[in-house]
Amino acid sequence: MLTEEQRRTWQPIAASTDLVPRHVFAGSIWGQELAVWRADDGHVNVWENRCLHRGVRLTIGVNLGSELMCQYHGWRYANRTAGCTYIPAHPADAPARTICNRVYPALERHGLVWAALEGTVEEADLPELPADGLVLRPIPVAVPPAEVKAALTIEFGRDDVRWLVQPVDAGRSVIRGVLGEAPADPLPALRVWSARLGRLRDRLEALPRPPVEPIPAELHRVDSALAGMPEPGPAGASLRVRVARKWPVAADVTAFRLAPLAGELPAFQPGAHIDVALPNGLTRQYSLTNGPDDTRSWVIGVKREPAGLGGSACLHDVVREGDVLAVSPPRNNFPLRRDGLLTLFVAGGIGLTPLLAMARTLHLARLPYRFHAFARSADHLPFVDVLDGLGDAVERHIGLDPAATTAALEAIIGTQGEKHELYVCGPTPFLDAARTIAAAKGWPDEAVHFEYFKNERPRDASTAFELALARSALTLEIAPGQSIVEAVAAHGIHIPTSCAQGACGTCRVGVIEGAIDHQDVHLTPSEKARGDCLMACVSRAAGGRLVLDL
Amino acid sequence: MLTLYDYELSGSCYKVRLMLGFLGLAHETRHVDFHPGREHKADAFLAINPLGQLPVIDDDGYVLRDANAILTYLASAHDPDGSWGFGGDAVRNGRIAEWLGFASDFTGTIGAARLHDAFFYDLDAEAARAGGRRLLCILDEHLWFQERQAAQWLAPGDHPSIADIACFPYTALAQDADLDLADYPAIRRWHDRFKRVPGFTVMPGVFPARG
Repeated sequence: MLTEEQRRTWQPIAASTDLVPRHVFAGSIWGQELAVWRADDGHVNVWENRCLHRGVRLTIGVNLGSELMCQYHGWRYANRTAGCTYIPAHPADAPARTICNRVYPALERHGLVWAALEGTVEEADLPELPADGLVLRPIPVAVPPAEVKAALTIEFGRDDVRWLVQPVDAGRSVIRGVLGEAPADPLPALRVWSARLGRLRDRLEALPRPPVEPIPAELHRVDSALAGMPEPGPAGASLRVRVARKWPVAADVTAFRLAPLAGELPAFQPGAHIDVALPNGLTRQYSLTNGPDDTRSWVIGVKREPAGLGGSACLHDVVREGDVLAVSPPRNNFPLRRDGLLTLFVAGGIGLTPLLAMARTLHLARLPYRFHAFARSADHLPFVDVLDGLGDAVERHIGLDPAATTAALEAIIGTQGEKHELYVCGPTPFLDAARTIAAAKGWPDEAVHFEYFKNERPRDASTAFELALARSALTLEIAPGQSIVEAVAAHGIHIPTSCAQGACGTCRVGVIEGAIDHQDVHLTPSEKARGDCLMACVSRAAGGRLVLDL
Repeated sequence: MLTLYDYELSGSCYKVRLMLGFLGLAHETRHVDFHPGREHKADAFLAINPLGQLPVIDDDGYVLRDANAILTYLASAHDPDGSWGFGGDAVRNGRIAEWLGFASDFTGTIGAARLHDAFFYDLDAEAARAGGRRLLCILDEHLWFQERQAAQWLAPGDHPSIADIACFPYTALAQDADLDLADYPAIRRWHDRFKRVPGFTVMPGVFPARG
């Protein structure tokens, strides 16, 4: 067991110069192995050195710049949050948010990287060091830290060097020295000290001493906030974010950059959306447009819907920079596969927002994709600056009438090449047209991924039926006009929902028995035909009875 | 045609495979069952190399043993740019020769400890490990000071040399000999750089670097 003090003390675990781009550095404090890597944005990540999947060391993994990839089965973890973003063996699924590696507090000061084993340390607890000191070459020594400290004081106590001893383990240390003032040419001093400390190391290691037992690695339970079920209902807007920036990105489209009040935002995957609770009481869903290299704040694009109920108008007219909004953690019902040989993105108008996040992900990973952006006019094309950043992969289709749009979609979609994936998002007629064309050209359902903003299909809630909940051993009568979500909530069973209209896919529930009257626009025709799940906010029984896996 | 007498798990054979990969040289491979078959001590192989050691190459009848010798030969005979071998100035050439010798010491220490741990050889593994640690300290210090002078490789110059190839395998396989490279961060960074050289090939226990 580690002591409180061992956990709560900042330890120097690396020199800043150790963390070169696209490298994973192996660190350790009191026997706890650390995977240390600098992302392309400069952030230093200090994580438990263990993939959550099979326990393989992440120090043999790959630093992808904004994600760390395990060498074994390729699980990716996000910069800063260490949330899992992709599992190659399940390319069509969004990893659960509980898959989040342990992140240790870390700071980079005075040319050194500092970490502690527990989160309650503060920057003020760092030891004071010379501002323009010279960080010496670190010398690992297979000797207990206390002995090394004592020897340094005796040998070099009078020198102008601040001595720090990193406790690698009970019997192993690293000597880290900071010379008080950096000489103009540091090399001679660095060589002298490297040689001196090397001799000290040899002397100390040669002294007879009983073997020291290594400290075992501590295993940690998943954080309780993560381990719990997602909060029920659209009111689960448990995060507070500040509107850091509000700016127009196209005619009728305003972008909002949402920053955390403190700390970091939770991990998200491309395709994810958040619920935004608005000052007027409405809740709306917006896709995150961020790429994996842009995780400190979220950017959403909001199109003004003059015929809407006032959600977009409220964001456009009422919400200002500096305001605090309540939002939900990101949910991903529109996951991005990364194993296609070519990924086609087809975006209609504001439907480009989730696809933008996806394209940025593939762009950074240098995976092949094409991005087709349709807009009414050049002024109506949102996030042009981001599209410009994607370069040649983007093709713009501006001002086409419905017939020309269909012709363009025909040409773009074509017949499916080997392992080609199609992602479509946009207004209902646009999306319907793209899906019809893909189906006619023989694309299988599994390769056509789509997300509707809203469910514009006619819905019929006039039926009554019996609903059995297999796991809860409960049988209910559903009255006309009542949804499954509402009916089971009355018995204390909460199904997470988001859009409440069968578009987003959050309320998916397993069906064990009974014919389903699908009324959503989320499931593909083949998923609907399989009959093993439904969207509980809108779908109903086609016969008189349904048995749900609840 | 060039033929390599090869054993997949041998660090010394890996040196030659790395060189062939970097040069993009077409070749044939003859697999010699070092363990458990001990084919390298069988008469058929002793006729090729009386020392009973791998690797050996046969380049159209020119038979050559010893990894350092083979690297030197391949760099002279098959590297049109002369960038890997002794084509540079005297200082670079001297350093290349120095680190080629150092690489042989790795074979006798880390390589020996690995033979004990992974191939059940009866030898003093602790002494071999201690020797390996001493060499890793020296290599790490050299590479750390190379970094300070914006130099990426063992010998001076912008291009890696056969010295890097010779020192890479047994340091990259140190884990097989129960040696933890966490104590040698400059070696780990050099490994990353080396793995990104175009034409790099892997072997069991050596992972690629990407990104």
